[in-house]
Amino acid sequence: MKEVKVEIIGPEPACVRCQTAKKIVEKAVEKLERDGIIVKMDKVNIISKDVVSKYGVLVSPAIAVNGTVKIMGRVPREEEIERLIRETAK
Amino acid sequence: MGYLIYTRVNAYSLAPTLEPEDFSKFSWYEIPFQYLWDYFSHAWICLLFAFTAAGLVYEFIPKEVITKYMGSNKVAGYALGAGLAPFFTVCSCTMVPLFAGILYTGAGIGPAITFLLMAPAANILTILITGEFLSWEIAIVRILVSLAAAVLAGVIISRTPWGKAIEKEHQINQNTSVAQQTIELVKPPLDERLISALKFGGYLAKQIMPYFIIGLIVVGYVTAYTPPELIKGYLTGIVGVLLASVIGGPLYTPTLVEIVLGRSLLQLGMSKAALLSWLMGQPYDIPNMMAVSRIVRWKVVLTYALIVWLCSVTFGLLYGIITGSL
Repeated sequence: MKEVKVEIIGPEPACVRCQTAKKIVEKAVEKLERDGIIVKMDKVNIISKDVVSKYGVLVSPAIAVNGTVKIMGRVPREEEIERLIRETAK
Repeated sequence: MGYLIYTRVNAYSLAPTLEPEDFSKFSWYEIPFQYLWDYFSHAWICLLFAFTAAGLVYEFIPKEVITKYMGSNKVAGYALGAGLAPFFTVCSCTMVPLFAGILYTGAGIGPAITFLLMAPAANILTILITGEFLSWEIAIVRILVSLAAAVLAGVIISRTPWGKAIEKEHQINQNTSVAQQTIELVKPPLDERLISALKFGGYLAKQIMPYFIIGLIVVGYVTAYTPPELIKGYLTGIVGVLLASVIGGPLYTPTLVEIVLGRSLLQLGMSKAALLSWLMGQPYDIPNMMAVSRIVRWKVVLTYALIVWLCSVTFGLLYGIITGSL
């Protein structure tokens, strides 16, 4: 099982919906870690040049799994994140 | 939904009905209650509709469009900045990031400024509430003049030396095609999207309503205690346009309150021309300028504030002359 990298992309200071998204990801990660999936979670700034040059213009909150933006401009459900990470970890 | 269509057909007033004169009957502690009651007994369905619509639009607008085409070229940048801003920015937390994103990629500072100015003036919530509480004529004129002002400000700033300097400083690379490959959005099923649209509408309401209620209470007192002669004396004619455009900006209150206050002032005798200038003052509010000035320099912020102010005066006067309501 390889390590999965999850990035939560939002503005700094984080907006309310980005904080919600982060909490949801945290919960999902907690669950996944009990199953032995290693997740590296990162909070990155949407207006940093690194992010823009890597992903282009984004709508916050966005969530990238292993360097691919999967969710943009919405708060996902916990199960959805869990499923996404599991699929990537396979 | 059926009720909504029914009320539309019957032209039932969704806007509040109290006139300023009614307020003189109430004692000071009754005013907020009477005013709030008046608003919520009549306007709740309009507010409900506006928040639901905003949630739905935001959920279903294809967000990939902005990421895909924003970086491509200038004209597309302006068109997207002006055309899509209304659909993207019901939530303030998306505005500054998008502004920065547009600035950093190929589109540059012009479209970024256009987007920034267009957003608060013409988002779904504002348009619906302006149309319902004030008039659809004012709502449509507001969109058109905001569009003109926003594009003008964008074009002018992209030609100033300090605007160009910022653009150069922030531009990363012209090649955004690399970035596209790293975006593969997952789409949840329709029922989930509908639920999340409603949730987002609810979230918006939760964010805006507390300020809206406080704003209403203040506006209630303003309506009750401002002598109409004062408004008729100062907020009409050319002086009225100038004054309204000046106080509209710094006095910018949380979203939607400017509409309610504008409505009260209109009832008290402000001219329609001054009302337009009043509403156009919104994009250069102080908190917004603070956030943006962290990305671009103050010079750019001041330039666009000045352009928008000039536009709000010009269009206010023009509107007054054309409709004979100066």
